Amino acid sequence: MDRSSDQSNLATALAEARPTPREDFAEELDERVAAGFPRRPRASGTPLSGLADRLRGLSPQRLLFATGAGALAAIAVATVIVASQGPNSRPPTLNSHALQPDWRGVQFEPPAKDSSGGTAIHAPAGVAGAASGASESSGAQYGSALESAPTESPPAAAISGRAHRDIERSAEIGLLADPADVADDSAAVFNAVHDAHGIVLHSTTTSGKRAGADFDLLIPSARLGDALAAFSTIDEVGSRHEATEDITAPTVSVSEKLRDSRARIDGLLAQLSTAETETEMSAIEAELDRERHHASQLRSQLDKLEQRTEFSRVSVRIKTGTSSTDSGGSWGIDDAFGDAGHILGIAAGVTLIGLAVLGPLTLIALLAWLAQRTWVRAQRRRGLRDA
Amino acid sequence: MSEAAVANPGAQSKSEVNFERLYRSSRDDVYAYAAGLLRDRAAAEDVTAAAFERAYRKRSRFDAKRGSARAWLFGIVRNAALDELRRRGRQAELSTDPVDAASVAAPDRDRHELRLLLDAALAKLEAGERELVALKFFAGLSNGEIADVVGISPSNVGTRLNRTMDKLREACDGSF
Repeated sequence: MDRSSDQSNLATALAEARPTPREDFAEELDERVAAGFPRRPRASGTPLSGLADRLRGLSPQRLLFATGAGALAAIAVATVIVASQGPNSRPPTLNSHALQPDWRGVQFEPPAKDSSGGTAIHAPAGVAGAASGASESSGAQYGSALESAPTESPPAAAISGRAHRDIERSAEIGLLADPADVADDSAAVFNAVHDAHGIVLHSTTTSGKRAGADFDLLIPSARLGDALAAFSTIDEVGSRHEATEDITAPTVSVSEKLRDSRARIDGLLAQLSTAETETEMSAIEAELDRERHHASQLRSQLDKLEQRTEFSRVSVRIKTGTSSTDSGGSWGIDDAFGDAGHILGIAAGVTLIGLAVLGPLTLIALLAWLAQRTWVRAQRRRGLRDA
Repeated sequence: MSEAAVANPGAQSKSEVNFERLYRSSRDDVYAYAAGLLRDRAAAEDVTAAAFERAYRKRSRFDAKRGSARAWLFGIVRNAALDELRRRGRQAELSTDPVDAASVAAPDRDRHELRLLLDAALAKLEAGERELVALKFFAGLSNGEIADVVGISPSNVGTRLNRTMDKLREACDGSF
């Protein structure tokens, strides 16, 4: 018999030896195929493994599309979050509230001392009447105005067993106005400052197309809520920020140093009264001068700290052209480009940060996947070779 | 069945496979291949079911440009079978249905003996050689399709098959 005939016979024999599936198995498989391979509940299956199964079933195009859509959504969300923080965002002390808040009910901690220093405060607020100039600046000496307030050393018991905290407060409020209303709004700001017994540290009012006004104010902390409420009724509130800082620790520290210094002065005075020689008296007096100077510096520091709790820094900005209710405002194509550029910049930043984080992770995952795939292939080859 | 008939001509996706049709045309071939490679009917059933389920889940990933649907399917079956081999720790035992020689009618006895001889010869082959035989004669794949499944050239498939057939013939003591 020749070789080709043998081959043919062998092929025929092999075809006859072809294994065939059991009927039961074939029927069962047919049913499962017809049902679209319903997933069997796994005893140890987790939602994560189910998700992994579903992802494995996706085509590369769909997987890429889903990943891209997810990334875009993440960038959009991150952009909105970052953009909503605004350029004036401050770290943790910042508290934001809804627009047009009602500050009238807000109760701030009253200052430790009676604000009788208001007599020295009222005078600068009276500059309000001069706010109608085309462009005008006025300033008040913050330090001198505050230092002119009466000072009184806190009792020792209040320092050591302090029940309240010394809180410094500050606030910013942005008002949106028509250019024609800037002067009236500025006057209203001055009036509100006057009513709150506040101080105008600095004010700038500009008229014309780019009309606006800036005010840097000191408002007695006890009246801050009323003052902010008054500012918010002057015109549309575009933005506002509020911050607090706890300065109890430095206040207590300076107070204790001052107490110690005074004790040293008393001690030196006692020594001076018992000094017998001229040299001894001169030495004690020199020491006394130094200590008094030191005590004076501490007193000054303490005063400033206390003023920081008694008065809140408030910044009021009156802007024009961006009022949401101003249909005839000057918001135009330039502003649109500016806003678009800002948003795109934020989106690019978010994307860059995302890539910086995801890039290495993706690379590691890719390498792990390739290594696992190579290992599985090698294992399969070995299984076939060794079988 | 022709490839054009198996591939779904653009119902959902241009290259998405018509799974139902592929299944009907390949079920027995897949089982035969798995049983021939694993030499274990129970394991072959498991592998066949698992492979079809895997193919069903991955059907949207089929790309006609990269090969025929049958080659794609048998690639999946091969991976499942090799995974099974790996799991069993190289213990690929023959567990064919036992046949009582006495119960076989006289005219068929020669044929039965020949079958036993062939089974023994197949068992002596290396798994890689047995796989080629299973793909060619049990599953009915062309050399080109086998080349796609196994990952070697079609001419190499032909050469290896010839060599394997010679081995089989020698192992059958010239019965062919």
